[in-house]
Amino acid sequence: MNEIVAIVIAAVLCWLNFVLIDTWMGLPEAPGVKGAEVIGRAVKKRGGDLAGGLFQGNIVCSPDASAGTLLASAACYTIGTPEGGLVAAVLVYAGNRLCADPGYAGTTGALTITCIIYAASYIGIGPAEFIVGMVLAIVTIQGIDHPLASKLLGKIADKIGRHTKLT
Amino acid sequence: MLIHAFPMITILSYILAVLSAMVVGLVLRIPILPERPMRYSWTISIIFPTSVLALGFTAILFKLGHTGIPVAIIVGILTAVFAKYFLERLLPRPQTEESA
Repeated sequence: MNEIVAIVIAAVLCWLNFVLIDTWMGLPEAPGVKGAEVIGRAVKKRGGDLAGGLFQGNIVCSPDASAGTLLASAACYTIGTPEGGLVAAVLVYAGNRLCADPGYAGTTGALTITCIIYAASYIGIGPAEFIVGMVLAIVTIQGIDHPLASKLLGKIADKIGRHTKLT
Repeated sequence: MLIHAFPMITILSYILAVLSAMVVGLVLRIPILPERPMRYSWTISIIFPTSVLALGFTAILFKLGHTGIPVAIIVGILTAVFAKYFLERLLPRPQTEESA
């Protein structure tokens, strides 16, 4: 498969993987630590959505499904599939506990992307494409426009029933 | 890069690692599931994180060259003991809620 097409497909899969799992695991509902709330409030102050801001704050403050996706992709590239993903899940879990996070989102994200990488290998998309894809996916959330991204994340949280009750 | 299907013995080893961790976890009276809502629960249970740790530790040993079903079963047993007695000490839950 053409490398650019493979990277685009991998980016979309990574984006869906980490956004859906993080939202399902309640990242937009409440800040895990004070820093996440500060970021959420700052995003809201700049015209964004509080739930989306809390999501962005939480993924900055602890390794959630975004970190799980990136680390599992890198580990699969380094030591193979599925061993890399399984080792990444343990490392993300340890990182989560150190960051005052129970660890469900991070480990789930690492395990699901390992399954996705394994399935995608049959259509010629390898872990290397997923590493690049995940970097692109996280740029759309954290690197272009925080208020705009937070509004989209807020809408997704609303659809999944995970919008914050904080005001 | 095409990843080839791994041998059945490897899949069986991972399954046995999880099963042995579950059985020993039940014997040690680790809860099967965390209390609801699970996504905010800090309770160490058999499904999470014991099974995930068993898979990860088995993968580490397999990559270090120690393969085979007996290795997987032993890792599962040791993981359950680790989850029950040492995990909370090594990676404790936060003492106070930091967020308002």
